[in-house]
Amino acid sequence: MGVVKRISGCVATATAVKLADVDVICSYPIRPYTGIMSELARMVADGELDAEFVYGEGEHGQLSVVYGASASGARTFTGSSGVGVTYAMEVYSPISGERLPVQMAIADRTLDPPGDFGSEHTDALCCRDQGWIQGWAATPQEALDMTLMYYRIGEDPRVLLPQYACQDGYFVSHILGEVDIPEAAKVKEFLPPYKNHHVLDVRTPQIIGAQMEPKMGPGMQYQRYQAIEGSRKVIEEVHDEFGRLFGRKYNPWVEEFMTDDAEVALFIQGGHAETAKTVVRRLRNLGEKVGLVRLRTFRPFPTQQVRDALSKFKVVGTVDNSVNFGISGAAGVLLTEARTAMYGMGDKIPTVGFVAGLGGEMITHDEFYKMFMKLKEIAKAGKADKENYWLPFEL
Amino acid sequence: MLEEIKSLRKAPEEEYYVPGHRTCAGCGPALQYRLVAKAAGPNTIFLGPTGCMYVANTSYGCGPWAVPWIHTQITNGGAVASGIEAAYKAIIRKKKTDAEFPNIIVMAGDGGSSDIGLQALSAAFYRGHNILFIAYDNESYANTGIQTSPTTPYGAWTTFSPAGPVIPEGKKLMPKDLPKMMAHGHPELKYLATASLSYPLDLMNKVRKGLNAEGPAFLYIHAPCPKGWSFPADKTIEMGKLAVETGMFQLYELHEGQYKLTYQPKEIKPVEEYIKLQGRFSHLQPEHIQKLQQFANGRLKEVGIEVSVPAQ
Ligand SMILES: Cc1ncc(C[n+]2csc(CCOP(=O)(O)OP(=O)(O)O)c2C)c(N)n1
Ligand code: SF4
Ligand SMILES: [Mg+2]
Repeated sequence: MGVVKRISGCVATATAVKLADVDVICSYPIRPYTGIMSELARMVADGELDAEFVYGEGEHGQLSVVYGASASGARTFTGSSGVGVTYAMEVYSPISGERLPVQMAIADRTLDPPGDFGSEHTDALCCRDQGWIQGWAATPQEALDMTLMYYRIGEDPRVLLPQYACQDGYFVSHILGEVDIPEAAKVKEFLPPYKNHHVLDVRTPQIIGAQMEPKMGPGMQYQRYQAIEGSRKVIEEVHDEFGRLFGRKYNPWVEEFMTDDAEVALFIQGGHAETAKTVVRRLRNLGEKVGLVRLRTFRPFPTQQVRDALSKFKVVGTVDNSVNFGISGAAGVLLTEARTAMYGMGDKIPTVGFVAGLGGEMITHDEFYKMFMKLKEIAKAGKADKENYWLPFEL
Repeated sequence: MLEEIKSLRKAPEEEYYVPGHRTCAGCGPALQYRLVAKAAGPNTIFLGPTGCMYVANTSYGCGPWAVPWIHTQITNGGAVASGIEAAYKAIIRKKKTDAEFPNIIVMAGDGGSSDIGLQALSAAFYRGHNILFIAYDNESYANTGIQTSPTTPYGAWTTFSPAGPVIPEGKKLMPKDLPKMMAHGHPELKYLATASLSYPLDLMNKVRKGLNAEGPAFLYIHAPCPKGWSFPADKTIEMGKLAVETGMFQLYELHEGQYKLTYQPKEIKPVEEYIKLQGRFSHLQPEHIQKLQQFANGRLKEVGIEVSVPAQ
């Protein structure tokens, strides 16, 4: 049996990294993800975890260190936040291109400006299309479980892709939650040692990352496309098996909350969903038919599952906690992704985008309440008067 | 331990950098690569930051190495090498492999070491990883079509430092001294030397010393580039020799903080003898050549060579 502890998202992630028996860790300080690294440093110093703990010279260096380590057959971990995530941009594509299943935790933080420490999904979303598996945990428990599942998914020989395991800065990374910590022996059973035949070993010399001719480009990119598309099946299998072994059953794609007979719903990802759930519950007590759909896996984007989940409502509002200046719909990527998913149905369901919680501000109960009221208004009118609302200014 | 190679005849016959690449005829970096691989032997992993020794050496499924090789970004050779080293340390210690700890060699250009890759290089040495970092100096960003890098000599023509009526000398800046930057300020450094492809025995033995050192070793190898410097392809070795004989390049090792010459020309020749053979210097006026002479004299003095050619 595992033990239940009250720990933060950071400590939950670090605990999972220890359970995964990671070999090489590369650090660089930036708030708020730092809490994961300091916990890992402590575990290494105390002899709880046998790993090389490398002091990266920056985030670009961090990703480069794990690139080399993973290519040598080690299980690796790194992480970052905010401008650290974007500083490493060059290295994300080579990592997925060489099919190295490194894991990077991202505890979100705004980019500069505003330069504060607050959480915003912009950092992780900047690198969303680089061939990495990506998703958001909404609680410390989910952060721990996600870390373990992502290693298993990424290292599956049918996938071999890196993973961004994201959690909102502070709202998840620094808030204590009850976490059921699984037994090491059971984790071993779930997560076998990392084996990659495409490694640097003098007994089987290989050339990794040779330069391509343009005519080889399409095939190379097509393989990476097939890998991320093919990961869908593995993601489902791994969530199933995780549920069987540990008793926590997640829908790998979307979590639906009080959506039965709901007429309007919010589509959201990350920890703010937990605040929104309270509002949904209260509104339900008042007889309002509202619901919530939380996206769990962002890459690969579960187009079909999102379509199925959202097409039963009269109106859908997306909550973007990121900036995407100039984007179609003038809100954020969740709006454009949701619309793209729903457009395939030829449905005429109005979608509006809410941009909220920027700069790391809380998205308050009051704000979620206003969003639901706006959705109701649109449902009644049959159409929206505006396609996006920037909070708190426009609602 | 890799033993000292007593003479060129006694050098191993086996090659680990073999035909199958597309470098220019007479390419200095390719010639030194062959010597490095020969000296290092089969228990070696090479890393290739972007540059001529990546681009001109690889095409998909085809590369000239008989040992493992991995591409790195031009920015991160030192960091990727650190990761490989850390991985091998961990997986050997944790009994996840039965492989031996390998020689880990970064083969970076002057741009990938002295400029955009400097941060990763310095960090790897600060952390003390057991790697050999080689900077092959062809004195330009060659692969992008010959642009000035921090080690391009004063007065050299490149496509970013062309000579013209307003800037008659072409490149106006004096070059960065990367080995001296590496020599001081990295307490974990275990070995540092300069070498030239024109002195192959010396070069191979320096590779071995670097690999035998238990910690980070830095080797700075002068490697003339016929295309970038505009000289005939059969003059590469001569060009390397003349660089040393004129004092434009010095061969030394660092011993307990002191520079120890490993080869001293009997007589230092004027730099003009070296530069007159290269098209990249053909626009220089006497006053510019004097500046280059002063530069060579200064560098010679720093490593303890008495200067015999006057510079006005
Ligand atoms: C981040 C980044 N910036 C620029 C380049 C373009 N680039 C490719 S090869 C090269 C030249 C490298 O010069 P050097 O390191 O001296 O090696 P050489 O080509 O001279 O052998 C450059 C600048 C790149 N690949 N990556
Ligand atoms: S440009 Fe110079 S360094 Fe590059 S392949 Fe040609 S000769 Fe070699
Ligand atoms: Mg160069």
